Amino acid sequence: MKTSLSQKKGLINSTGKEGWVIRNPFEEFKTFTFQKADIPLDQIIQSAEVVMDQIRRGYEKLLEEEAKELVWMVQYNTIIKAYEVAENHVREIDYSAEDIEDFCFALENTQKIPYLIPGPAGLYISALCNYAKEEEILLKLSELKTEINLIGFRLPKGKRLVIEGDAGDFTGIGLEGGELVVEGNTKNWTGAGMRSGKILVKKNIGLHTGEWMMGGEIYVGGRIRGLGNIVEGKVFERDKLVYPGKARHPNLYY
Amino acid sequence: MKKNAYQKQVMEIYEFINEHLYFNRPDVEAKGERYNSATLLSLLTGLQKGKELIIGEPGLGKTTSAEFVCSLIYQFPLGVIWGSEVSGHPEQTEEKIVGRPDLGKLNRGEEDVVWSNFSQIPVKIVDEINRLPETKQSMILDGVDRGNWEYLNEMIINEEYCLFATANYQDGGTNTIIAPLVDRFDVMVESRYPGANLSFLIGKANRKDHVLRHTRYEKELHRILSSKAPYEKKIPKVEEVCNAFGEYVYETLGIKPLQKGERDQMRAEMDEIEFDLDASAFTRMLLAELSFCERYGQKRSLENCEEGCHYTGYLCHEIKNCASNRLPTSVKQYAQALAWLLEDSKVDIEHVKMVFPYALAHRIQWKDEILSQKERSKRDDPFPIFLAKEAVRTVSQRYREQSEHLKDALGVGSKIFQGGTLEPLEGDHPLYAEIKKDLDTRRT
Repeated sequence: MKTSLSQKKGLINSTGKEGWVIRNPFEEFKTFTFQKADIPLDQIIQSAEVVMDQIRRGYEKLLEEEAKELVWMVQYNTIIKAYEVAENHVREIDYSAEDIEDFCFALENTQKIPYLIPGPAGLYISALCNYAKEEEILLKLSELKTEINLIGFRLPKGKRLVIEGDAGDFTGIGLEGGELVVEGNTKNWTGAGMRSGKILVKKNIGLHTGEWMMGGEIYVGGRIRGLGNIVEGKVFERDKLVYPGKARHPNLYY
Repeated sequence: MKKNAYQKQVMEIYEFINEHLYFNRPDVEAKGERYNSATLLSLLTGLQKGKELIIGEPGLGKTTSAEFVCSLIYQFPLGVIWGSEVSGHPEQTEEKIVGRPDLGKLNRGEEDVVWSNFSQIPVKIVDEINRLPETKQSMILDGVDRGNWEYLNEMIINEEYCLFATANYQDGGTNTIIAPLVDRFDVMVESRYPGANLSFLIGKANRKDHVLRHTRYEKELHRILSSKAPYEKKIPKVEEVCNAFGEYVYETLGIKPLQKGERDQMRAEMDEIEFDLDASAFTRMLLAELSFCERYGQKRSLENCEEGCHYTGYLCHEIKNCASNRLPTSVKQYAQALAWLLEDSKVDIEHVKMVFPYALAHRIQWKDEILSQKERSKRDDPFPIFLAKEAVRTVSQRYREQSEHLKDALGVGSKIFQGGTLEPLEGDHPLYAEIKKDLDTRRT
């Protein structure tokens, strides 16, 4: 009888139209549908990760194609071929100069990229620099333990690439009008085969500098260990023109 | 009446007060526009039949600001407002505040009450309320809360009234305002120093209150209010004179004070403005932090919460007492009024963020360590308002991070409430625990 009485009076009637209704305190939210809010920082991190994955995959493919045995010989043909492969991958990625720097560190520090082979890595980074949207690229590599070879390969006219730290062998080879600045030292064969442009090395430079260079200028803030067989172009050591000039025997230790 | 014409009318009053009567700097922002908090909130108080506590140094226009607002919103000449003000002093009596026996009738053995102007007119100003001894503050509790004024078994009920009380900062002659009375104020605001330059102008200007005086209407209103007619019959007559004064103000100053019908219409419009989901969820989030205690079920001023509690980062850990049910009522009322004034169709989070600190500042008791931690912080507001603004800002940051998940939790709560077989969403904020409590009650 209790129930019928309460029903009659409509005292407890959560769904009925009349009488007391137990109010849903969340009523106004009943139609709310959850949409995951992407906060800008998340988006930035996410997109940076996507780009890094693409860059990493490109590098892995380059190694798969060009350094199957994890051995890579520096020869004219291997360089040209590896660079072509790198170019093909890089062209399809939308990245920024910062991503290049991140990739350089990822090369050394992440488990995702297990092997750093200085040659192909340098060519790949060069391709990234040459196809980057930015005209000026700064790579802070002074913390990097490995010196990367072949950096600045075929740097085109209108581009300026600044390396903070040291670079390895074959730096700036085949330069095509760009400006390459190395804040530290470079090793042997710097500027070999360059056609035009400018290489500025703030500290010392190794042997065979400017070997077969066809044009352009190399400025060295420190000392040149040895010049290569230069066809054409200029080489300065501490603001002093050393080529063309008094003939100095190539690869002479002094 | 054109759409939004009332808002323009009220804005004209706001601007007139700011430009001609109560010089002050804008100190608060709402929707990209800067306003003076004292004038704006007094205006909203007048419009929404609210109760406002105005604090400030002596001589900085606490009472004056309220008088101007009341005069223009309720069409009363200043002389009548002055004549009905109650000033707080230790010798104040119920007979002066509420009403007294009709001595002539009493001599004839009849009991009748002569009601004070204060209890009769819709505009109530208590000057220096904290000079009333604590025992006498309770005398006006009911009147303040419900508009019921009782004396000698008789009662009058104010259908429409607003209350402004001023309070000085603590000094030798002041008492603390008792907690139940403080809680009855919807908002607390500071009447601030306008700055040296504006202050200099005030000094130079001649008396500016004459523009809202009218001797004939003042006398007429005094006559009606002190007549022996029943209260209900006096009100229409009072309104008639008020309307005539309103016309006079319109003719002389070019601004139109609000008639009773217009005020009612405005309130009806304000009442229809709903909170959008964010405003509602944000308010709930604040209320949860201001009332939740994991250990003792809710905040109670006599219980001190434990160190090392899971909810240490939230406001509940910084305060002593529990937010009263009057807090959300005040917030809703003022946020709706603000949204209406700014011609917005819904109350959004910006409206809530603007009014909440003023509704909270006088109601919350902070723990001593929080007070000593923050009392030397650089600030522009009086300490309680500063703390309340900081609190609202902190919660607003939290809301920005969690809003979607919180609204989802409330949405899921709604579905469970209607019988859905879902599990309440988990989350770190006290509001998630509150949702669960509501659902548990429902289930049992």
